[in-house]
Formats: sequence, structure tokens, C-alpha cells
Amino acid sequence: MANPKMNLRDLAILVADPSSYIAMLVHSMLRGFGANKVQDVRSSIGVLQVLTEQRIDLLICDMRLPPHGGLQLTRAIRGKRDNENRTVPILMMSADARENTIKQARDAGANMVIAKPISPASLYDRLSWIAFNPRKFIDTANYFGPDRRFKIEGYPGGVGRRKGDQEVAVAAESGPALAQDDIDNLFSAVRTGQD
Amino acid sequence: MSKRTHPEAREFALDTRFQKMVRREGGVSREAAVARAADEIEEVKPRYDEWLEGELQQFASLIRKAERGEAEAGWVETANFQTRALRDSATMLGFELLAFIANSLCEILDAVETGSECNMDSIVCHLDALMLARQRSYRHLKPDQVPDLTKGLRRVVKQVTI
Repeated sequence: MANPKMNLRDLAILVADPSSYIAMLVHSMLRGFGANKVQDVRSSIGVLQVLTEQRIDLLICDMRLPPHGGLQLTRAIRGKRDNENRTVPILMMSADARENTIKQARDAGANMVIAKPISPASLYDRLSWIAFNPRKFIDTANYFGPDRRFKIEGYPGGVGRRKGDQEVAVAAESGPALAQDDIDNLFSAVRTGQD
Repeated sequence: MSKRTHPEAREFALDTRFQKMVRREGGVSREAAVARAADEIEEVKPRYDEWLEGELQQFASLIRKAERGEAEAGWVETANFQTRALRDSATMLGFELLAFIANSLCEILDAVETGSECNMDSIVCHLDALMLARQRSYRHLKPDQVPDLTKGLRRVVKQVTI
């Protein structure tokens, strides 16, 4: 994963985690990265309120954010046609790193998932990936969000949606937790063809 | 800009403000950013004691209610949320024993959430272990420095999550 320098100054970043201390730790990391406009909220209702009132450049959100949960919240953000934050990059934090959960986040429209507990290096790398590996947006009747079509490399039983990609092999049941590298593979592999 | 790939699908390139702004001059290298973030975390570490004490008291109160059968529906989910926060914060701050115990308890609560029988004794013994590990004399220990405790907890988890 290439890591050019990132300039987070003056970017409006919203951290949404139900735990005040976890939010404080994430906030500290972002401050260390150079961010100076970080706000935090404890609930999905708080997120929606902030997104209605102001432009946010990046949302870092917990998967289990009460009361709606991060998945439903992401769908709501992506589904709100009249909101300028509809395309905001969303980094989902999850203590549940099972493959099925990660795929649900991707299919809800999250840009990337980061496994909890978070380290400064893992957070920096995920932000860098979102920043320097832009994906097209897809707007269909039942999905709005970053392009989910990509080739999986390095993960057995991967997911493919284009010609030449591997067959879809989605686990029906919850499986073992994925390592962060596997999560990255679910999001990051380079597109290999055109429809 | 946009092109049709399917009658109902629209595909478009998007350079978000985040992406544009991040690329500006004056950025921070990965090495410097990670080092500064670690320094920032050190600054908030002193507030951990107060937060941990509050979280453990709330957790203990919840478990006592559950033991008496007075906890509200959904208490397991609440307990699991609190335990995950304990585990994640302890891991991020390098308190390995606390993180180990909290993670062990998460395994039990995950199993209960997905349908396993709720064994209160297994939860209470983890609560006791957390109360012990929160003490300053234990907090910086690693799991392998208290093998009796960690092996005992692993046995409990194995028994109740099968």
C-alpha cells in the first residue's frame, strides 16, 4: 500500500463511536496526523443531525453505532439524494471482522473497514487508501456508493464481479474473523476489466 | 462524465473534497504521522483511569442486575458493547492483561448473542478478573505473567462456548 504524504488540515472529520474514550483515542490519532477539525458524536442520530447541518469531508463510524448501527446509517446517508454529504467517504470501524460482516459494510456503501482495535499505523494506511485510491461511484436502483466490482487477490474464495474475476463465493454463515490485510483485499483489489 | 453501463445503472468518477484536500502540499509522512499520533495518545492516557473505573462500575452493576434477573432485555448486547470498548481501549493503550480478559469475555458474550446458553458464573468470574487487572499493580502485566488466571479463563470460555 503506497503512502504518499496526507494533509488533513482543515478537513471536517466526524468520528462516531458510542464509547467516549475510544472516540478520544481516534481523535488523538487524527490530531497526530495533522487534522484540526474533528468532531465526535455518540449515536447514528447525532451523525444524521451533523450531516444535515454541515458539510463533512470524512466520516469514521463504528459498525455498532446505536441505535441504527453503522450499516443502516451508511445506507441512509447514501440514500439521501438531496444531501451534499451523500458521497462522503465512510470508514467503518468494526470489532467484528468476520467476512460476512465486512461484505455487508461494503455492500451498504462504506469505502473501507478498519478492524478494531485500531492502531495509528492501521488508521493512517486506511485513510491513505481512501485518499489515493479513488473509486467510481455507482448509482443503481438498489445501490449507491463506491464501485464494489473488483478482483480479489490473496484471499481464498474471493469475490469477483467482472469478466475474468473469480466466481462469487460469499459465506452464508458467519466465519472466522479476517485479518486487516484480508479486509483490505475485499475493498482494494484493482479492477481488471470493463463490462 | 457519466456513462451508462446498464439501463438502470449510472457510473461516475468522483473526486471528493477529502481526496482533493489530502493531496495538498504540506502533508505529513506516514512515519511522522504515526509517531505524532502515538504522542497524542500518551497525552490522553492519564484520563484512562477515570474512564475505566466508570465503565467497570457500570458493567458490574449491569451484571449484578442480570444475576438477580432484573436486567432489561438486551442486557447481553449492552454488556458486549461495554466489554468491546474495554478490550479495544486496553489494546490501543497496550494494557495486555486487561485486553486479554475483556477479549475472553467478548467470546462468551458473542456466543450468548448468537444463541448459546448464558452461564452467569462464567461472566462473573471474568468480571472479577477485570476488577483485579484494573489495579495498577496488575495493569502492565502480560497474560503469560499470570498463567493460572489466563488458563483458567480459557478453560471457562471453552466450556461455555461449545
